[in-house]
Amino acid sequence: MSSATRQKVMRHLDIVKQLQPSLHVETHAPAPDQVDNEHYRAYTRMSHDVGGEPDVPITWEEKEEEVWEHNTFVTCEVLAWRGVWNAEERRRRQNVDVGQTQYLGLPYYGRWLLTAARILVDKQYVTLTELSDKIDEVKKRYE
Amino acid sequence: MSKPHYDREHHVKKATGIGDPQCFKGEAGPAKFKVGDKVRIKDLPDIFYSRTQVYTRGAPATVAELVYESPAAEDESWDNTDNPVWFYSVVFKQKDLWPDYPDTFANDTVETELPERWLEPL
Repeated sequence: MSSATRQKVMRHLDIVKQLQPSLHVETHAPAPDQVDNEHYRAYTRMSHDVGGEPDVPITWEEKEEEVWEHNTFVTCEVLAWRGVWNAEERRRRQNVDVGQTQYLGLPYYGRWLLTAARILVDKQYVTLTELSDKIDEVKKRYE
Repeated sequence: MSKPHYDREHHVKKATGIGDPQCFKGEAGPAKFKVGDKVRIKDLPDIFYSRTQVYTRGAPATVAELVYESPAAEDESWDNTDNPVWFYSVVFKQKDLWPDYPDTFANDTVETELPERWLEPL
């Protein structure tokens, strides 16, 4: 019983390594019977659950946080104090809801910032048109 | 008009001045496991969200500590706080997790916290 589960887990990890995000690959629209149970599990897996994925060592680099990163952190904490989200919902949105491509492709606080904007839209504190108009307005200041 | 109205501050009100997960103390009922119990990690469905690492599924572990009561991550991540459960710190042998783990380090362990719903008696 256990070993069957363990074999499944190891096979899952083997499949997952084939799902690294890639660019310039034509996507396919599979028929339902072309996605077996193992691939369904691989596709629906949580992007933050990277334990056991084959990878290479990366270099540890000491880097101080930048001002925008501190500001982003404070913004997210204030959203928690106001009851907009709790820490677990914040982590779900930052680490899993963003999907694998953004999880691996964006900087850590980039995901925080994007998610802070997203939850304000999702919970109807701002509308997306208000938000995008504001982003547009701010961008124009720097043009 | 069309916006949902519910108490978005219920969680923060509950935790203010007490802390989280301390604010859930006493709400999970009797603990199913005690320190030293052998358990196995269930392989439950985990679409959308969980913090129970896939690499632990089906592996044996030992309960090291009852750490706190809290909603499971699957619930708390949508702010569902009505069903707190016991969280256990459990210890795995690395050799039970990784088939190729070297015998030289056979005593290596890893410890992680999991909610009760993921554990079954071994």
